[in-house]
Amino acid sequence: MMSKNLRIANSNFIDQTSRISFKFDGKILYGFKGDTLASALIANDIHLVGRSFKYHRPRGIMTCGSEEPNAIVQVGNDASMTEPNTRATEIELYEGLEASSQNCWPSVNFDIGSINNFFSPLIPAAFYYKTFMWPANFWKLYEYFIRKSAGLGKSPTQPDKDIYDHRYLHCDVLVIGGGISGIIAAKTAAKNNLNTVLIDDKNNLGGTTLFQQNECFKINNSYSNEWLKKEIETLDSIKNLTIKTRTTLAAYHSYNYLLARENLTDHLDLNEKKDKIRQRLWKIRAKKVIIATGAMERPLIFNNNDRPGIILSSSIKKYIDYYGVKCGQKISLFTNNDSAYETAISLSNSGVSINSVIDIRDKSNSLIVKQAEKLGIKIHWKHTVVNTNGYKKINSIEIMKLSDDGTAVVGKKIKDECDCLGISGGWTPRVHLFTQSGGKLKFRDVDNVFLPDKSELDQISIGSCNGDLELDEVIKNSVNSINKFLNVNNNDYKNLEIISSKEIDKKNIWLLPSDKPFGKTKPFLDFQNDSTANDIKLALREGFKSIEHVKRYTTTGMATDQGKLSNMHALGIVAETANLKMGELGTTTFRPPYTPLTFGAIVGRNVGKFFDITRRTPIHDWHVKCNAEFENVGQWKRAWYYPIENESMHEAVQRESKAARDSAGILDASTLGKIDIQGSDASEFLNRIYTNAWSKLEIGKCRYGLMLNEDGMVYDDGVTTRLGENHYIMTTTTGGAANVLGKLEDYLQTEWPELDVYLTSVTDHYATVSICGPNSKKILSKVIPDLNLSDKEFPHMSFKNALIDNIKCRVMRISFTGEHSYEINIQSSYGKSLWEKCFEAGKEFDITPYGTETMHLLRAEKGFIIAGQDTDGTMTPVDLQMDWIISKKKYDFIGKRSLYRSDTIRDDRKQLVGLLTDDPNEVLEEGAQIVLETKKQPIVMLGHVTSSYFSPNLNKSIALAVVKNGKKLKGQKMFVPMKNKTINVTITDTVFFDKENKRLNA
Amino acid sequence: MLNYNSTIIEAKEFSDIKISEVEPTLKINLRGKNRDFVTKIGKELSIILPTDPNTSSGNKELNLLWLSPDEWLIYSNDKNNLKTINSLEDKLFNDISKTKLGSVTNVTDHWIMINLKGPKIFDMLSAGCPFNFNKFKDSKGAVTQTLLNHVDVIIHNKDINNLNLFVRRSFSNHLWLWMNDSARFV
Amino acid sequence: MFLINCPYCGERDQSEFSAGGEAHIVRPKQPTELSDDKWAEFLFMRKNIKGVQLERWNHTHGCRKWFNMARDTSNDKIHAVYKMGEKPPIK
Repeated sequence: MMSKNLRIANSNFIDQTSRISFKFDGKILYGFKGDTLASALIANDIHLVGRSFKYHRPRGIMTCGSEEPNAIVQVGNDASMTEPNTRATEIELYEGLEASSQNCWPSVNFDIGSINNFFSPLIPAAFYYKTFMWPANFWKLYEYFIRKSAGLGKSPTQPDKDIYDHRYLHCDVLVIGGGISGIIAAKTAAKNNLNTVLIDDKNNLGGTTLFQQNECFKINNSYSNEWLKKEIETLDSIKNLTIKTRTTLAAYHSYNYLLARENLTDHLDLNEKKDKIRQRLWKIRAKKVIIATGAMERPLIFNNNDRPGIILSSSIKKYIDYYGVKCGQKISLFTNNDSAYETAISLSNSGVSINSVIDIRDKSNSLIVKQAEKLGIKIHWKHTVVNTNGYKKINSIEIMKLSDDGTAVVGKKIKDECDCLGISGGWTPRVHLFTQSGGKLKFRDVDNVFLPDKSELDQISIGSCNGDLELDEVIKNSVNSINKFLNVNNNDYKNLEIISSKEIDKKNIWLLPSDKPFGKTKPFLDFQNDSTANDIKLALREGFKSIEHVKRYTTTGMATDQGKLSNMHALGIVAETANLKMGELGTTTFRPPYTPLTFGAIVGRNVGKFFDITRRTPIHDWHVKCNAEFENVGQWKRAWYYPIENESMHEAVQRESKAARDSAGILDASTLGKIDIQGSDASEFLNRIYTNAWSKLEIGKCRYGLMLNEDGMVYDDGVTTRLGENHYIMTTTTGGAANVLGKLEDYLQTEWPELDVYLTSVTDHYATVSICGPNSKKILSKVIPDLNLSDKEFPHMSFKNALIDNIKCRVMRISFTGEHSYEINIQSSYGKSLWEKCFEAGKEFDITPYGTETMHLLRAEKGFIIAGQDTDGTMTPVDLQMDWIISKKKYDFIGKRSLYRSDTIRDDRKQLVGLLTDDPNEVLEEGAQIVLETKKQPIVMLGHVTSSYFSPNLNKSIALAVVKNGKKLKGQKMFVPMKNKTINVTITDTVFFDKENKRLNA
Repeated sequence: MLNYNSTIIEAKEFSDIKISEVEPTLKINLRGKNRDFVTKIGKELSIILPTDPNTSSGNKELNLLWLSPDEWLIYSNDKNNLKTINSLEDKLFNDISKTKLGSVTNVTDHWIMINLKGPKIFDMLSAGCPFNFNKFKDSKGAVTQTLLNHVDVIIHNKDINNLNLFVRRSFSNHLWLWMNDSARFV
Repeated sequence: MFLINCPYCGERDQSEFSAGGEAHIVRPKQPTELSDDKWAEFLFMRKNIKGVQLERWNHTHGCRKWFNMARDTSNDKIHAVYKMGEKPPIK
């Protein structure tokens, strides 16, 4: 495979003894342990790895890190675990890796979409916006083709089998980035007894210094890499220091809350990945944060700068020095600064032939340039590349001399053959995390960089992400900043002897000139979204001024790499064209995540049975055993209905409803909220929160109460029982329990702190078994033989303490079905046993378990409301025709004043009414609209159905609804228009069954 | 006879974590504000009511956990003095609630108590709990109320790597499963 | 995600808290004496400012106590927390 022998032997980081096989685009290839997919591909002489988004131009690997715009690949073949949009430069090679190119069809070598390239003059910025606007009804057709050709990669079609999880982490100091300054920071912090965490996205620490073995960069007479290696070795023995490699900082939020994704198994061989957490999302809360994320190299913007084989110069250096891989056999370098000479020297030392260095500057007398000259490397000063050739791989470049002002080229064209071009446009400090955290940037003119300025958080940036781009400055300034920031005095790095080449001569041209007219050139800016300098200029000509608008119009910086490489040039070109200063123009906003996160990492273990929290009643297992279907009510799982054999839901509910009225039914009511109220002002408190009066409720009696919001709208309801002089137990709706308690606490703590009242939730302490029906009394007398159940002794709306097998319980005679019924509250541990006991006792009466659906049906027959179903936050008690529950005597209660606001006393408000269908078998749909006039358009909608059932006890369909001015419309015929028909209905009273409440005492 | 039913079906053990439900004998929620209340409780229980935030007090039979400036949780797992323990609720209710000093509520079955033991329990908790355990870990008797996998919990630091965790009964099955799942990956 | 210093429990993660809107709006003692307009002012009118705002917060998943907070809405900086009934420590 490696016929061209692109490997050199002397890499310290690649284990050339352990060969790894992998597949790329179906072809079996080999690499070594320590390779990334990118380095292994280059070693196999594969540069063409993808097609560009819009023009489908061939694109190759361009970088060696997270900023990679081109080498975006699909990993994996499995329908459940394939992952699109991963960067080949960050994928560590493992045995069995399968990857493929994206955004090309049928293959990366022959891509049909590349025809777009020939039409590219016809596809300018915002082409899609402009073209597919009309005719409007053609959109369906356009969309089909756009969807097919657009997008990057394929999403998996099956659920992800991998496991992800989350962890919280609290530390004193978080250091982001394990380069030279990050290592100094972490060591200083940990040695000073601060609980420190150091993270780095690579598999080992050291950053670029790790492979910097150059005479021009020395510390205490050692090569900088050797010095740093020793520093790294000492880290293991330091207490308080946690090091996390393969961990990418994804987001930096306020209050030093940060999210980092740790890759735990992505680098492992296929068979080692199983049953392990793939990725872990760390939720970090750090007292102090030190950002040491370094800088990334900029490309240069010139005609046809996007061909495979055009690679950032520093990446070529990493490929040769770290991976031992040559990016080409004959390499040219194109630069505006000194750093490309480091690459030149590294290549030369490894025996790779260098064509020449093309430098746009007039000269440079730095140490490093002199060293390169000494090695005999040819340099074209004040020259630029005007064009490149080679379709699937670069094969030559064209060079011309720059005019004095740098806006044009002069003289003769030189053609240079090469198979790789390294480009370096200077350095951009990685300020992404700093700005994510809310920090403001400042602009430094001398080398055109944005640097961290002001921040509200306890954080600093050090090293090259803070603009220190030379070794001596990195160390000196980092040490000073760290000492000051941590308020420590670390002298370990005070007297280092540092040799560092200094760059003095600087020059920058954002858009390099060509011999061709500008309109005929293709200087790419955003390689992933395929936008060129021409697009930026077009946007400006069309009147866009704000950089945020230019970005969106041209889509520059809007791809998955968020324009890590393109943003600075886009800003530069806009500033230059609009004649503004870059500092004034500002930057676009960098948003989290820094690199894309998998959905798996975002959701963690909250999948499957942990997707949402579930609450169970103490009787849950019985319902499961008896084949109940469950309904979610808030977080609760409630028994919905209990189908027997092949019963449908309708059949089961009809049977349950009939049984409850004919003999006996049993319901698990444990989910109702229960609040224990004690204190000398408990009665006064109830007076203030409920609409009705409570002072005169006798001990041992129960009362129904309605709770309003201050705006007069019904909030919750329930029965409250007076247990003692200063002791009540309140029930709330199942879904409203937590909110009601919160609201009541709010009033007690903030508005009425003078009241002596204490609230304690006891919802989970009690299981509630509700028995209803004409035989309920007989059943209860079997369960609690000692209890006198006579109507005189134990009337409706009263309560008794009782003992069942020596266990204390509370029995309330209350009813939500209109039947004679009891609720037994017992401590939860005995709930299931009590239920079984009641069920056993009821067997001779065919006691029937019923679920929430039957409960809803039975109460609808009686016209009882369900807060939240028949009310929606816009219904007053008057609207519900419940005027009787509003005390006229009380001076105040929550919401009272609102009941006579101009809006709440309108008579044309929507009011609760009953509805009967003309055809008794026609059951209305809940939510259906109610109208008076079906012909005249627009049809006026007067209200809607809130509850609707077929009543087996009345043998007809019944419904509750809210209708404008409904109170006065009793007997009125109305219409419910449905998709295929119109249903005729009549407005009635809300109570359909047992209007005289005879059954309560039957 | 009525049978006692636990919410938790089976206990699992992991190498560095042991999770087990502890059958409770008594839990009482106490609320009160004034000095008389604090003094009275001290006398009744012969334990000083903890008034420092996030702390507890107790003796062999009883633990008193601070929950808020006017709220405490008493719990006991003492099986040897069941009679005294069982009569405690009535005694306190008569002496505190009926005398209008505060409130006394039986919450024995409102909370399920789960004991967590082992060197890795805090790693397991950190999978779903935003609370900073760095100092808590080493302070015996410390108490916190927080969220664990979005569920309210009270955590009582009994001893080094030995916690009692209280969760509302209806959530306990879900949280139990979650903790067991989480413990797998520690 | 804020780090909120509950006046009772100390520093906790924001997920333990819930926000309760503008602070220092006192419920009128005699609502029945108020005109519709005055009542509506209490009921509906809330400030929405850019800058330091006084807000109510509840330590829902901790001690369940309500307290007040002075927070800058433009950068989320919490300048102070103080107990119910106390005066705001800053203007």
